[in-house]
Amino acid sequence: MFKYYFMLGVRSLRRNPALTALMVLTLAVGVAASVSTLTILQVMSGNPIPHKSDRLLVPLLDNGSLKGYVPGAKPDDIQMTYRDAANLLASKQGPRRTVVYGIEGGIEPERADLPVVEVSGLAVSSDYFAMFETPFLYGGAWSEKEDGNKAGVIVLSRLQSEKMYGKANPVGKHVRLHSNDFQIVGVLDTWNPIPRYTHLLNGNGGSFNGEDGIFIPFSTAIRIEFGQSGSTTCNDHVTPGYQGFLDSECTWLQFWFESKSASDRVAIQNYLNAYAGEQRKLGRFPRNSENKLYNVTEWLDYLGVVRSDSKLSVWLSFGFLLLCLVNTVGLLLAKFSVRASEVGVRRALGASRAEIFKQFLIETAVVGLAGGLLGLPLSFLGMRIIADQSANLSVVPGMDWMMLGITFLLSVSASILAGLLPTWRACQVTPALQLKSQ
Amino acid sequence: MLRMNNLSKVYRTHMIETHALRGFEIHVKEGEFVTVTGPSGSGKTTFLNIAGLLEEFTGGDYLLDGVNVKGMDDNARSRLRNEKLGFIFQGFNLIPDLSLFDNVDVPLRYRGFNAAERKERIEDALGQVGLASRMKHYPAELSGGQQQRVAIARALAGSPKLLLADEPTGNLDTQMARSVMELLEEINARGTTILMVTHDPELAVRAQRNVHIIDGQVSDLVRKTPSLFDANAAHHAAAAAS
Amino acid sequence: MEIRPIFSALLRNKTAPLLVAIQVAISLAILTNALYIVNNRQAVSVRPSGVTDESTLFRLAIIPITPLNFNENIAQQQRAHQILKGIPGVLSVAATNQMPMTRSGSTSGVARDRKQVKSTPASDYYTSDSLVATLGLKLLEGRDFASDDVLESDPALSNEYPKVVILTQELARQLYPDAGSVIGKPLFFGTGNDAEEVRIIGVVERLQSVGADSSARGEYSTILPRRTDFAQYAVRTEPGQRDRVMKEAAEAMRKIGPAAVTIKTKTVAADRSSRYRSDMALAGLLVTVSALLLLITASGIVGMTTLWVAQRRKQIGVRRALGARKIDILRYFLTENILITTGGIASGLLLAVALNQLLVSQLELTKLPVNYMLAGAGIFWLLGIGAVYGPALRAASISPATATRSA
Repeated sequence: MFKYYFMLGVRSLRRNPALTALMVLTLAVGVAASVSTLTILQVMSGNPIPHKSDRLLVPLLDNGSLKGYVPGAKPDDIQMTYRDAANLLASKQGPRRTVVYGIEGGIEPERADLPVVEVSGLAVSSDYFAMFETPFLYGGAWSEKEDGNKAGVIVLSRLQSEKMYGKANPVGKHVRLHSNDFQIVGVLDTWNPIPRYTHLLNGNGGSFNGEDGIFIPFSTAIRIEFGQSGSTTCNDHVTPGYQGFLDSECTWLQFWFESKSASDRVAIQNYLNAYAGEQRKLGRFPRNSENKLYNVTEWLDYLGVVRSDSKLSVWLSFGFLLLCLVNTVGLLLAKFSVRASEVGVRRALGASRAEIFKQFLIETAVVGLAGGLLGLPLSFLGMRIIADQSANLSVVPGMDWMMLGITFLLSVSASILAGLLPTWRACQVTPALQLKSQ
Repeated sequence: MLRMNNLSKVYRTHMIETHALRGFEIHVKEGEFVTVTGPSGSGKTTFLNIAGLLEEFTGGDYLLDGVNVKGMDDNARSRLRNEKLGFIFQGFNLIPDLSLFDNVDVPLRYRGFNAAERKERIEDALGQVGLASRMKHYPAELSGGQQQRVAIARALAGSPKLLLADEPTGNLDTQMARSVMELLEEINARGTTILMVTHDPELAVRAQRNVHIIDGQVSDLVRKTPSLFDANAAHHAAAAAS
Repeated sequence: MEIRPIFSALLRNKTAPLLVAIQVAISLAILTNALYIVNNRQAVSVRPSGVTDESTLFRLAIIPITPLNFNENIAQQQRAHQILKGIPGVLSVAATNQMPMTRSGSTSGVARDRKQVKSTPASDYYTSDSLVATLGLKLLEGRDFASDDVLESDPALSNEYPKVVILTQELARQLYPDAGSVIGKPLFFGTGNDAEEVRIIGVVERLQSVGADSSARGEYSTILPRRTDFAQYAVRTEPGQRDRVMKEAAEAMRKIGPAAVTIKTKTVAADRSSRYRSDMALAGLLVTVSALLLLITASGIVGMTTLWVAQRRKQIGVRRALGARKIDILRYFLTENILITTGGIASGLLLAVALNQLLVSQLELTKLPVNYMLAGAGIFWLLGIGAVYGPALRAASISPATATRSA
């Protein structure tokens, strides 16, 4: 019977093309709006490294002054001072740890007539690559020894390498950056975690677009006094000069611990508290506020990475889908009401109420399938449009099997939901071979 | 009251012409009760529709209560229908979502009577058909015969000159049919002209005069049965003439 | 006007009218809030930055790939000035550290008294020329910097601070709400013993902060006369010449030496659209959705009315037979439609307020003003009448013969 009803459903779509087109279109647009905004929201708030996210931890210390401080208030900056970063690095807590800060500059061309290659990226510790599981195309990360030696080594992203060397393997070549020589030791394979959680820049929308093209050792960057591309917050008097900057209470660095297991977190927390206590004895950290540790998802939450605009979009689409649903109920009602005589005849010929219910419900499911078919390309279009327009998202999420499934599921269930009332109505028609008027 | 001269009605669909009525002649005097009979497809309904100003005709003349309706626009016809005619249909054609009161009210609203006048007329009309007590009820709650009576009340409420009935008893059982016919005869006795289309030869006989239509024309077979009503009809015609 | 019978007939047959009313309600609720948000975002994005005639202004930054020492930097700045002034079409050049609406730059806390505990964050602009002249800022009180106000200092060697400052009117009001004129009054960068004291010598009407925040912070800025090792150049050109000059300037600067440099240019107009890109994107999305809402609701009304007309064909014929003119039938359906949409609008307005409450609590929106609700109601009344007109006209053309002819 199912196949029979399915075929009836498909045939009835063709009987009134205008009505069918209207129904399918309305449903498709509603579903497309919901699916595209949902996907984008999910992508933006998704966990970029789910199998490890609870073992990667960001420490948040508060070195702010007591001036105007209300106990319990958030720290002035999410970054830390050079002094604290160096100390935490040296602590050897957890199997791995890294500092991160943003850098920007130009790679000198090999010939004077060639243009400068503008690059941007990160200054990190050698552990960075293993911690965040970056895939390598050629070569690998530098070693801890090279960290210690403040060596001139550099890792390129795949895009950056292709821009400069095409498809060739550039490992071993040299580049000149910030008046210093750097040897290429590795090239990353395509790596686009969404959001770019290892180093979040607030404000300029850095979380979701672009990628980091170069990686150099943190120690080297400090040695050659590579300026920071990011935000620096200084609350107190800073002694002039680079060393003065490093010694100051200005915060400008991001730090990550890796813990052995989720339970290891306690050990690191204890270390952090002990460290803060020591520093207080030296006269720092006057606020004595709580020293926090955040894992990846907690950190993304804390920073409010998902903008309220995205949440608004999702709510909007659901409201929109609701409208489309009500609209579909009306259209289905119209569609079924003109078939009253058909129902009467079928009933007279032996169909039970249940059979009529099945027939018409399957018919609405067919409408839902058609809506899903149309909704799929519309969802693509929707995601493209939203991603293009918003400054944030330059990586357009692709359509995977799950999204495909969700689109059809949403469309069919919305259609069936809308069809319940009209179908029930259709069943109420009394059996008759010829309908009497009035 | 109603006079048609050489009336013709031609339906044109694509390339087929159908002559529903041709050279149609009829004269109904005021106060008469005339039945119209004829086989299916003879043009009875067409005649009734034209008489009732529901359809336009192709050629000839039609005078209703002395007014020549040829060339009247839709608005004028509607107004004339509203003021001079009353309709009774085979299927009752009451509006199911309106109470009996509101159903009878419909034509009065288009007439422009004020609320008080309408109320009076409705109560009076429903009273005449014996259903005043059930004013607030809905058609679905009544039997077929009762529904037809409400339809008659609706037809009467505007004090029409001419009542047009299309198989008024067609959907009723014999008992109900009889009571409806009695009601119609009563109404006619009080002076309203009635033109009734019917299949039923028994009913046709009851009327004073029968017009038989075959192939869109009045046939020669005009039967006249002397009855009580003749005297009344003559009396009213005389009264109207003076 | 037969409102009561129409209304009671609707009550007897509630489903279809309810569906239309619900669609109107949902659409109205979403539409009013959406249009309000659009208006808000729009209003934010057209706020003046303080820069006059933004279309003739661009900024240019020279980034040496090999860092220069302080003196080399200063020399390069002088050469840059000469090159830029030499390009035809250039009206004015100012070296500065940051530009409004770029979301990139320095913010410092300022106060009127060093004993204060809390300071007010304000964007601190440096210039060694005249930002007032090049950006076209409106000087309300006091004066612009003179060349001997400009402090040239190497931040790697000294923390020396300029002696005078120009600030924006809003910042002046915030710091000195009771004072008549702030000229000559002190301004402190930071608080406590380390705070730097400067003297206010000028007030400009407006210069937005680098972030152009939508809150009051967006109007708090200070300008200091200073020459340091980092500069970008704000360049004002003659009308219509901006793009050509920008290209020529970039070309010329590439050869400035001593070593290879990267040149970055961007127009102020581009800064504005970058700053408000996501606001405008959201506005665009909301406008599109609003249009779709109207379309879908209209199609719902058309669909339902067509269905009713078809269902009541006979009834309409009977009414005509009983004397209704075409216009009476038309009026009947219009009245019916207005009753239904009014019901939808009434509940829609309640829903709009509820939705607005939700948005206010969750997404930092403000309360929906009454005229948006009125406008929304008006739109949907018109929409309803417009949508129902077609089917109503078709109903009116149903022949009275339908009463007798159809089965």
